[in-house]
This record gives sequence, C-alpha cells and structure tokens, in this order.
Amino acid sequence: MEKVQNPIGRIFIHAALILFAIYSIVPFFWTTLQSFKTLRDANSRTPKIFFTPTWENYQELWLRSVPENGATIAYFILLTVVILICLLIFAEYIPAKNSFIYLFVVGSFALLLWGIPQIVDTAKFYDYFINTIIVTVGTVTISISIGCLAGYSLARYAGIASVVILIAALAFRALPRLAFILPYYWIGTWTNLLDTRILVIITLVAVNQPFTIWMLRSFFMDIPRELEESAMVDGCNRFTAFSRVIIPIMWPGIISTALFSLLLAYNEFLLVRLLTQTNWTLPVAISRFTGGEDPRHLTLAAASAVSATIPIVLVILFFQKNLVKGLAAGAVKG
Amino acid sequence: MKRSTFFQFAAPSMFVMTMLMVVPLLMAVWLGMQFMTFTNINAPQFVGLRNYIDVLSDDRFWQSFRFTALYAAIVVPGTIIVGFVVALLLDQVSNFTRGIYMSIFLLPFIIVPVVGALMFKQLFEPSGLITFLYQELLDTRFRYTEISVKTLIIIYGIWYVAPFSFVVYFAGLQTLSKDQIEAASMDGATRLQKIRHIIIPHLRSLTILILLFSIMDTYRVFDSVFVLSELNPIYKADTVMTYTFQAATVVQRLGKANAMAILTVVGIMVVLIPNLIQAYREQVEER
Repeated sequence: MEKVQNPIGRIFIHAALILFAIYSIVPFFWTTLQSFKTLRDANSRTPKIFFTPTWENYQELWLRSVPENGATIAYFILLTVVILICLLIFAEYIPAKNSFIYLFVVGSFALLLWGIPQIVDTAKFYDYFINTIIVTVGTVTISISIGCLAGYSLARYAGIASVVILIAALAFRALPRLAFILPYYWIGTWTNLLDTRILVIITLVAVNQPFTIWMLRSFFMDIPRELEESAMVDGCNRFTAFSRVIIPIMWPGIISTALFSLLLAYNEFLLVRLLTQTNWTLPVAISRFTGGEDPRHLTLAAASAVSATIPIVLVILFFQKNLVKGLAAGAVKG
Repeated sequence: MKRSTFFQFAAPSMFVMTMLMVVPLLMAVWLGMQFMTFTNINAPQFVGLRNYIDVLSDDRFWQSFRFTALYAAIVVPGTIIVGFVVALLLDQVSNFTRGIYMSIFLLPFIIVPVVGALMFKQLFEPSGLITFLYQELLDTRFRYTEISVKTLIIIYGIWYVAPFSFVVYFAGLQTLSKDQIEAASMDGATRLQKIRHIIIPHLRSLTILILLFSIMDTYRVFDSVFVLSELNPIYKADTVMTYTFQAATVVQRLGKANAMAILTVVGIMVVLIPNLIQAYREQVEER
C-alpha cells in the first residue's frame, strides 16, 4: 500500500513499531542484565539498571576452576571467533574459492571447540554445549540428505503415491510429539540405546522429516524440469543429473530448510528430556536451573539462558534473509 | 519420473518415517492398553481399554483440556491480530529501518522456547523488572496465583508465535497488486476502506494457513508451560501435554500416558481431517 505522508502519522507508525520492538526484546534485555550481576544486585527489590558488571556467573557456569591466565585465554578465544566470523562475512571478497574458506572456518571452529577443554578446566555445561552441537549437526545433515532425495522425487513424480505420502506427512506434522516419544522410550529400553546421541538424532530426524520434505519439495518445484532433462539427454542418469545439475542451484532452498531443522533440533526439549538421563542438550540442562530452591539459580539461570541464545542468534543473523524467505515461501505456496 | 525411480529416491525418507512415526503410533495404541510403570516396562500387563476409560473420567485431564482450549482460543486470534497490524506497519517504513525492526521482531521466534520462557520468568521474579513496575503502578504486590500464571503463559504464547504470523503476512503484502490499490485511490477510497476491501480479502488464504498451523501448535504447547507452571506448584495451569508428561514421569503410569496421547491424536485428527481432504484435492489437481 502507498506510504503515509502525514508527519504525525509517520511518528505514530514508528512509535508503534518501537513499542513492539521493546515488547520483543525486554525479556532478553533484562535477563542479560541479570546475568552480569552479583547475587546481591540481582536480588535487589528495586531493579538495578546501573551496577558493576561481573563475569562470575559465566565463570561458574562454564568453568570448574578459573585458570590464572584466564583473561588472556578468553581474549584469544574471542579474537579467534571474531576473525572466523569476519572471514565468513567477507568470504566473497577474498580471492580464494568460497567453499575452501567455509571449510576452513568450520574446521577451525571444530578445532577450537575440541581444544578448549585441553587448556582450561571446563564444567558440565560445556559438555552439554558440545553435545547440543553434535546432535544439531547430525540431525540437520541426515534430515537434509534424505529429505532432498524424497523432496526431489515428490516434486517430479506425478503418480498418486506422491500425493498420498505428502498428505500423510502433513497429518504426522500435526500430531503431538508425546504420541511418538513415549513409544521411543520403550524402543530405547528395548534396544539399549536410551541415553545415547544416536537415538536422539535418529528420532529427531524422523520427527522433523514431514516438515523437511514439504519445504524442500516446494523449492524443487521452482526448478524447471528442462534443466535435468537436457542433462539426461547429454548422458547423465537420473541420479547424476540430480546431484550435479539440480543440487548446485538448490543451495538457497537447502539453506533455508536447514535453518529450520537446525532451530527444531537446537530447541527440542521434550524428546531429549525423556530419552536421556546424562547426555543432555542445552534446553534440558537449562531447565535444571529454572526450578529448585537454590538461591543462586537466579543469576546462573540468566547466564545459561544468554549463553544458549548467543550462538543461535549469531547463526540466524548471518542467514536472516534465508530464514525470512523460507518462512514466506513455505507459507505463500502452502 | 518413473515409478521405480520415485521409490528409489524416496526410500530412505519413507523408511525412517514408517519405522519411527507410523510404527510408534501403532505401538502407542497398544501400549495404551497395558498397565505399565518404569519398573515393569519389559513385562507390561494387559488391561484392555481401562486406561482410556481412566483418562476420560479423570477430572484433572478435563481441567487441563479446558486450559488448553482457552489458551488456543486467546493465543490464535491474538497472534493473527498482532501479526497483521505489525506487518501493515512494517510495510510503511523504508527498507533499511525495516531490516533492523525485522531482526528484533524475529528474536522471540529464534530463541529456544525453554530459554524464552525462562527469560519471561526472570521478569516476574520477586526482584524482576515487571514485578517492580507492577508494584509501582498498581501499588499491590505481584503474586503467583492460578490466574496470573495462566495469564503469563498466554502472554508468552503470543510473544512466541506472533513473529511467524507477521512474517507470513508481510510476505503476502508484497504480492499485493499495485494497480488495484491505485484504482481504489482514484475512486477515493480511504485507507481503512482499502484495508477492509482489498488487503484483508487478499490475505484470506494466508490467514487460513496461519490459523491451521497455530491451532496445531497451540494444541500441543509444552515447553513454555512446563517452565512457567513451575511458578505455581499446585499444577493448576497444566495443558494436555504437560499433564500427559506428568502422568508418564511423576506418577509413572506409562500406559495411561500413552492412552492420553492417543486420545489427543484422535482429537487433533477430528479437526484436521477436513483440511487434509481439501489439501488432498488441491494436490491432485495441481499435479
């Protein structure tokens, strides 16, 4: 619709948007403040906006003992992370193949995550963090690879079987997780896989599969059939045409779908909570800090909430366009 | 594509979905007919339909059902209205400012639900920001009661789901035809008339979609209720999902919990089947 020109109207629009922005961000803002307070400051009845910040809560959360040269190590880690993120952002301007840069960055992150516990004495929370990364990466990789195959074939096959599968998937997407998770617990005890990452990953893949194939299918529908048909005339078989011609131009769609699988896996609470006793991921670990009589829970819970949010916010900010496009595409096409 | 190639490509995904969705669902029906706790999980005792009858005559189940229905009845229209208004407002600002607003508005959507609920809870702790403002403005102390916890859960629900609906509506607004709006301006239509007669009909199909998705999602809400209802240990703010979870873990009646989950599935299917039939027709036509 054409824009409002009236200055008072424009002020009103911005005021409303700012108000909504405050509503969106206030819980995050307040929790971040709380996480940098000492217990005394955090429990004060008149909320303190100005106070001397402390790292204590984060130290207690992530470390078992604070090393002497802790500040140096922290700066070193921070610097490495910043450099790696800059590499990612400016990858297009660096005169090297992009895929090499991405590979290098991912490899360095993995090395960093492996290296940290060798240098400093990390606490349980770090293990949960690593566990979350393994579960998330595993889930995304498996569900995207099998989802791409299925999504592609569902987009191209005209038989009635594809419609039946799609509708069944839609029905399964709507069902409550608990209807599957309680039997998973039983399957877990039966196969002795309870409390392992493998069980969590394969069940998460299954639970996310209906959504993944629907979304990938809608992206594959946008790619003209002529592309793979001409490749097949040139001597490719169906699979090589798929992997060499279709997949390279599908990347934007794959990234959008991968982001949603990533959010689903990273956020999953109920499934992990029921299927694991020690191999927790972050949401379950954090829920431990929410209850309890321990007076320290206030600041520790705040610190853990912020710690779990920052990685995912960084990832999403980096890929925000893909996320919005995915939401819109999934919705507009149904 | 040939039939055999189709099945080759779809096989891995179909296998996973059959083994880990269809089979467990059938298993849940069977487990719902057993008397089972964590101690006799390998040797359950068959009790027929007793668990199902148990659930249907359980007052607390119906209580949780009523709260779930109330939650859906407020959160679903709430997110649709908030999402629609925010999308209209966002449409008015320049591209650059829109990007910044967008990043902020999406925050509730990307935050882990458990963490988001925890952050909400921090605001309402005795030392929290809202507790303080509440006391300053209304001059009474904020207390955790059944009503206040339920309100909190509902406000959180809108906070969490609204970004989804505003992004979808915003995408829908971008496909609006300019000609139609211009023609309306020529005829002297006011802004409100344009919204009423052009934009709302244009967004109709998207509204149905958001309605469907948010009803499904509110019906199975768990994480936030689980975190926030700990504020009120009398468990009066249970939804169907958290009550089922309680039955499985605290009371340890696994059979009854399975029966409850199956009854929820039946309830959802009743709502869903007309939509599924419609989606089926659309897909058959489209192919």
